[in-house]
Amino acid sequence: MSAHSPLILLEQVTKDYRMGSEIVHALRGVDLSIEPNEYVAIMGPSGSGKSTLMNILGCLDWPTSGRYILDGTDVSSLDDAALARIRNQKIGFVFQTFNLLPRATALKNVELPLIYAGLSADERRRRAHAALESVGLGDRLFHKPPELSGGQRQRVAIARALVTNPSIILADEPTGNLDSKTGAEIMALFERIWREGNTVILVTHEDDIARYARRILRIRDGCIESDVPNNSPASVEEPAAQR
Amino acid sequence: MKRRLAEYADVVTTAAESLRANPLRSLLTALGVTIGVAFVSLMGWALGSLDAAWESTLSTLGQDMLYVDKWNWAGGGNWRSVMNRKNITIDQAEEIARRVRAASMVYISADAWGKTVVRADKKASGLVIEGTMARFGLLPSTTLAEGRFFSEMEEQYATAVAVIGDGVRSALFGNRSPLGETIRIEGRPFVVIGVMNKRGTLFTDFLDRTVYIPLPAFFGLYGRYSRSMTVAVKARSPEDLAELRDDLRGIVRSVRMLSPDAPDDFAINEAQVFRDQVANIRMVIGMVGIGLTALSFLVGVIGITNVMFVAVVERTKEIGIRRAVGARRRSILAQFLAEAAMLCVAGAVVGIVLASGLIAAAALLLHKQMEFLLPFVPLDVVALAVGSSICVGVIAGFVPALRAARLDPVEALRYEA
Repeated sequence: MSAHSPLILLEQVTKDYRMGSEIVHALRGVDLSIEPNEYVAIMGPSGSGKSTLMNILGCLDWPTSGRYILDGTDVSSLDDAALARIRNQKIGFVFQTFNLLPRATALKNVELPLIYAGLSADERRRRAHAALESVGLGDRLFHKPPELSGGQRQRVAIARALVTNPSIILADEPTGNLDSKTGAEIMALFERIWREGNTVILVTHEDDIARYARRILRIRDGCIESDVPNNSPASVEEPAAQR
Repeated sequence: MKRRLAEYADVVTTAAESLRANPLRSLLTALGVTIGVAFVSLMGWALGSLDAAWESTLSTLGQDMLYVDKWNWAGGGNWRSVMNRKNITIDQAEEIARRVRAASMVYISADAWGKTVVRADKKASGLVIEGTMARFGLLPSTTLAEGRFFSEMEEQYATAVAVIGDGVRSALFGNRSPLGETIRIEGRPFVVIGVMNKRGTLFTDFLDRTVYIPLPAFFGLYGRYSRSMTVAVKARSPEDLAELRDDLRGIVRSVRMLSPDAPDDFAINEAQVFRDQVANIRMVIGMVGIGLTALSFLVGVIGITNVMFVAVVERTKEIGIRRAVGARRRSILAQFLAEAAMLCVAGAVVGIVLASGLIAAAALLLHKQMEFLLPFVPLDVVALAVGSSICVGVIAGFVPALRAARLDPVEALRYEA
């Protein structure tokens, strides 16, 4: 990656969906650039197009038109296998509903992306273990999701997102299913991840959560409504993560 | 390459895990395959047993032997005209034996069927009394469990000695040795001097119910002219058999004084006459087996396709998660195909175990009557069964797996069960 090009560059990205006989314009020409190690919150009410934007940023979906350059690669025209590889190597997802495999242990869940990266079993285990340690779950390696609390599940999901050492951590309402105290702990964890040099993109509709980011982007009706730095970020204390 | 390896190792373990998660459902789903594989195994076993019986028939009767008889062993021909055939008399038989040059051995025998033999207070009926020559005892296929066969001398002097089949021995003597004991045939006493090894097969089970006595002694019991003779001719080698057969046919026709345009009024039998019978049985077993197997596999395919569709829906979220963290469409396809195939292999293993149990039971219960039954499923059949069940799995799993692979990751992630 050269110093001049941003990590993420969207140029006039649109996305149309067909809903029955109607065509829904979910994104109507979005221009966006995000530098490495930014901490961005994408905000907007439901139906604003923020989920669509997140799916495109996460290479889960293709833009209808426009260009998306991720880390120097134009991903708007890649095929399925190539996009799968990008998702595997450059993107770490964190979802509102955690999206863990319920029958697999925490360790196995975190190993999952590494399987598709083709790492050996030993290497997978070592890295998954380290990732779980870093989110404070070194003592829960062999617990399955139903045996973990919501906050712990989200930590497993964050460990899974971090384990491939991706270019972007993409978090979609990461605290939406958590109580506010646990939510604050998770946000403290994101703060630390960002401080460690990662690029974090939060998608949320809650101002309280968006306040943690250093740049806030508002979307409405498929267009970027505002894009401002956040000069008074919420302060964080991270007591639980060290446990 | 390495990348793929890690992925496919995971595909297999994931498939195994998901089968273990639903053992009962897996078992029921694979029932069609289980039954199909059981049928394949049973069919293979039956065919294997038949082949073994066929082999031993060939070796007992001798692949290099021709038997001139009034009747064709395998039946056939016009029943009435066959019934009206004249006996092969002892004089004709001796003349034939004299004229055959290209043979390594010739002997004459005669049989009386449905006879009863008595020893003290025990009786065995439904037996065959065969008058034969001492030479019969020299054939490689004539092996004795104990004692000896009668000699040329005993034959010439019509000595009242008998060599009994294995079945006769067990009927009259149980576990005791019959050597030196007296048995009565048609009321006349004969001393048992030998016991044949068990040699009856599926096709020649009467062999173990036969009592061999010197041919002149047989004539003493039943008369010289009441029975049709059999002339047994041993070729110098199995390759000479066709030529010998032609020679023999000419000799018998001339001895029987047939006019050139008259049909044969005799048969030249050989072990191969059972070949058609074997082929028929094979075909019936094969057709029934393949029919039942195909039907079961069809049921299996339908059941598995169905359950795989259900599994794809149930695991939509999982598919979304896997896609999000880097699974390609092909990885998902492979995962569901592997699962269907493994389901079928598990079903096949149960089927093989089931069939093995049945076969072991059959071999145990029917061992006495049907010695030719193999006690196990032939290995090549096991391989065939497992191979075909993998195919069934792949066929059954393909459409559901394709649907899984084509799921849109965004939709799949949004799916809530």
